[in-house]
Amino acid sequence: MDIVVLIKQVPDSSEVKLDPKTGHLLREGIGAIMNPDDRHALEAAVRLKEAHGGRIVVLSMGPAQAIDVVSEAIGMGADEAVLLSDSAFAGADTWATSSTLGKAIEKIGKYDLIICGRQAIDGDTAQIGPQVAEYLGLPQVTYVFDIEAVTDGTVVVKKRLEDGYEKVQCDLPALLTVIAEVNRTRYPAIGNLIDACGEQAPITIWNAADIGVMTCDVGLAGSLTHVIRTFAPKGGRQTQMLEGDTGTVVRTLLEKLRENHLVLTDSGVLSAECREGKLS
Amino acid sequence: MIRSNAENLIRKSMARFVDNELVPKAQEIDEKGEFPRELFEQLGRMGVFGIRYPKAKGGSGGNCVLFCTVCEELARGLMSLAAISAMQSLMGTNFLFRFGSEEIKEKYFHPAMRGEKVACFCLTEPEAGSDLGNASTLAVRTENGFLINGMKTWVTNGPVADFYTVLCQTNPEKKFKGLNFFLVPADTPGLSRGKPFDLLGTRNTKICEIAFKDCFVPLDHMLGGEGQGMTNLLSILAEIRTMTAALAIGLQRAALGDCIRYAHERAQFGKTIANYQLIQAKIANMAVDLEASRLLTYKAARMVDDNIPCLTEASMAKYFATEAACRAADQATRIFGAYGYSMEYSPQRYYRDNRFLLYGGGTHEILQTNIAKWAGL
Repeated sequence: MDIVVLIKQVPDSSEVKLDPKTGHLLREGIGAIMNPDDRHALEAAVRLKEAHGGRIVVLSMGPAQAIDVVSEAIGMGADEAVLLSDSAFAGADTWATSSTLGKAIEKIGKYDLIICGRQAIDGDTAQIGPQVAEYLGLPQVTYVFDIEAVTDGTVVVKKRLEDGYEKVQCDLPALLTVIAEVNRTRYPAIGNLIDACGEQAPITIWNAADIGVMTCDVGLAGSLTHVIRTFAPKGGRQTQMLEGDTGTVVRTLLEKLRENHLVLTDSGVLSAECREGKLS
Repeated sequence: MIRSNAENLIRKSMARFVDNELVPKAQEIDEKGEFPRELFEQLGRMGVFGIRYPKAKGGSGGNCVLFCTVCEELARGLMSLAAISAMQSLMGTNFLFRFGSEEIKEKYFHPAMRGEKVACFCLTEPEAGSDLGNASTLAVRTENGFLINGMKTWVTNGPVADFYTVLCQTNPEKKFKGLNFFLVPADTPGLSRGKPFDLLGTRNTKICEIAFKDCFVPLDHMLGGEGQGMTNLLSILAEIRTMTAALAIGLQRAALGDCIRYAHERAQFGKTIANYQLIQAKIANMAVDLEASRLLTYKAARMVDDNIPCLTEASMAKYFATEAACRAADQATRIFGAYGYSMEYSPQRYYRDNRFLLYGGGTHEILQTNIAKWAGL
């Protein structure tokens, strides 16, 4: 079974701060890591390879320093890695990113399965996996938390829903996006990491010309959406201490929740009712 | 060609392991005081124990710098696990790798690299610590092997080891030139293990006495040429001392990190203690000690990798970094105030664990004597 895994290098924090003046990410003192969901995608691929054989190619798009996450992927068990790195790719929105990744996957050629993490902790869009599947015309299953079986040209997976799960059988080739629940990831093997740093490492760098795209179709130039302004939402909590006996406190709490359109559902979980922008 | 830097990549990968698997559980593991079998096996699967051996011969293909990097990170999380790993990667397996037959490597070395067998190294005797020439464990040649009799003490991993590399005397008249290393499997008839010592620190590193009574080993279990034991030991002594210095760096980093966090949290007289100059002075001294330790240690590690004789540099690194670790742990118990005296907080563990570093690889009294001699005294 040949598998392509999409991975991304992201800042080592889910709470990156923005410069209030420029709106740019404050990266000082924040390292870079493999996106956590992508690590689970790679682990899923390595387990499938261990069970069924085949090859794993890891694909990433990013600046030169993203070499560290593809090297780490080799450490975890990927056979080969491709890093798409070109100044022309910079500033890509999810459309330009997924079409660029799609082009690279077409060049990689043979695959039975593409596995991605659900979403990256820096953008949180969860769009790349589905858009790559659309670009390549593949069936897709998102939010996968269990890969049950791969037999006779199909894959059987469980997909997490808000209130349960769906068991889905899907023809191959297909694209899966996985959530952290799918597995416990391994740590890279030291020997593989050392190999990944050597000249003979199975890592290839491709630029725009290598995958046959025009620079006007990728990166910022090829993006369908443009960011006008980036800003941190005005936060701030107001804490109110409720006083009185238990009954009074509970009654007051429920009134407050209703006032703010926060009601208790049947399952006892708080959910928000957004009405005419009263909650934001 | 763009490639990652191996030192950075391995440090980052080990740091993730340490932050996820060791730091949150270190206190609990230390309190249990058991050999951390599961973590040991996990490190074996990760190829940590093979880091300083060539890949083509069953290792992971690294070098002394990478070995020290891993030791440092592990020691930042849990000194006892770092000490066990260092034993497994260097002293416990080195002579099997260099002098063992293919059969010995297949049976002991390769499983040790995978974390399936525990290795250890027996040097010290009740009457021979720093004075190894006085070692009296005797290996007497028989027709087809050797009979070993004697006693070793302070054997790290002794209670749990699957095989022992034992320094024996084959010709007492020759003193140092009569010393040889022997592989003695744990199931050898006549080998018995003493009760594990009750230790002040590194409580997961199990240490005991090992007694040998008419233990027979075949001829190929003598590791290295006849009379080469001391020469072979000296050939890895610089690396042992450099590795010990790296362990000390890990402890310093753990203590410094905890102290900085605590100084930002603990408020007295309306402001956090990080604002007080006497606390700042302690943190500054710890930071300077740490940086100086790094410079000495990694200089020695690079010399080991370049095959440059560096026993002086390694001894200085071990001496300085370990003393600095003692100072860091001491300062941590002061910055934490009375909480530093409590078993619930980390400084007590650093304060106890750092003592382990004082003896392994040479006592500081011996090191200072040698350094003074090298300096020209």
